[in-house]
Amino acid sequence: MTGPTDTPRRGRRALRHLPLVVWLWILWILLWGSTGSTGPVVFAGGLLVAVAVVVSFPLPPLQPGAVPRPLRIGRLLAHLLTDIVGAGATVAWQALRHGRRTSTAIIEVPLRVDTDLLITLVAEVVTINPGTVVTEIDRRRGVLYVHALPIRDERDLARLREEVRAVERRVARAVGHSHGPDDREPAPGAPDGPQEQSREGER
Amino acid sequence: MTVVRDVVTAVLLPAGAVFCLLGALGLHRFPDTVSRLHAAAKAQTLGVLLVLVGAAAQMSPRHAPVLLLVALFQLFTVPITSQIIARTAYRTHGLDRDRLLRDELGDRLARDGTPVDAGDGAGRDDDAER
Repeated sequence: MTGPTDTPRRGRRALRHLPLVVWLWILWILLWGSTGSTGPVVFAGGLLVAVAVVVSFPLPPLQPGAVPRPLRIGRLLAHLLTDIVGAGATVAWQALRHGRRTSTAIIEVPLRVDTDLLITLVAEVVTINPGTVVTEIDRRRGVLYVHALPIRDERDLARLREEVRAVERRVARAVGHSHGPDDREPAPGAPDGPQEQSREGER
Repeated sequence: MTVVRDVVTAVLLPAGAVFCLLGALGLHRFPDTVSRLHAAAKAQTLGVLLVLVGAAAQMSPRHAPVLLLVALFQLFTVPITSQIIARTAYRTHGLDRDRLLRDELGDRLARDGTPVDAGDGAGRDDDAER
């Protein structure tokens, strides 16, 4: 676990928690919503609470080697927003037009990404996307099971698979590893990937 | 400026309300739990987001970020809840499996030797009711 008390390592670990502390701090300030006379108290208190929370409830590292790319994240969010509008309209129309007779399917989509963070993000975005809800996440095999509607024939199934893969690509490009997931083959039957081991090493 | 704001609100609030209504309608009309989730997770989310943006247009810039936070947490939490409900529904016959065009999760579970269907025919009983 923790090595001997070498300060550089400890410093790096503290740095890793910095984004979370900053986020919690911003959250605190926003929720108080006051920057008047109580401003300094809120600022100082927020910092204290943020540090206290991060220290008392340490989280495992999400993804070593995650490289957020602002431009790609922006593109991902833009896609997401248009998809939400499209999704809302599609599902609403399905409900109105077909109701009970809506035909659905559950498909298996092997993922190329193999880190907790990326799989979580892909699953989130897929659920927000038009007509798809993630029913099951097989973390060990790296497989998503996606319930989708409306699905009428094989063509719809193929299109759906392609959509989930496209989401995966966008997410991987936005916050993926520096070497990217595209050079890896999908390995649905594979046991824990190398990612798992490197995470163990990090701790 | 206030006219623009008013127009934005006047368009977005009713639009959001309509999507919430459609989401509720979807809850009523879709055949099983997982399909209903689609209505709750999408039409509903879109409705809430539109209402929030419409409301934010009327608020002082200082308070609008809080509404943004509400929207953000909606977007993060709704898919997670949906996934948990969908997973549970699948394993407790909340999903009418006879209607599925393809069920690769069922195939996988059968291959793993842990099929969900214990042969109690819960799905078929539902059908008979209709």
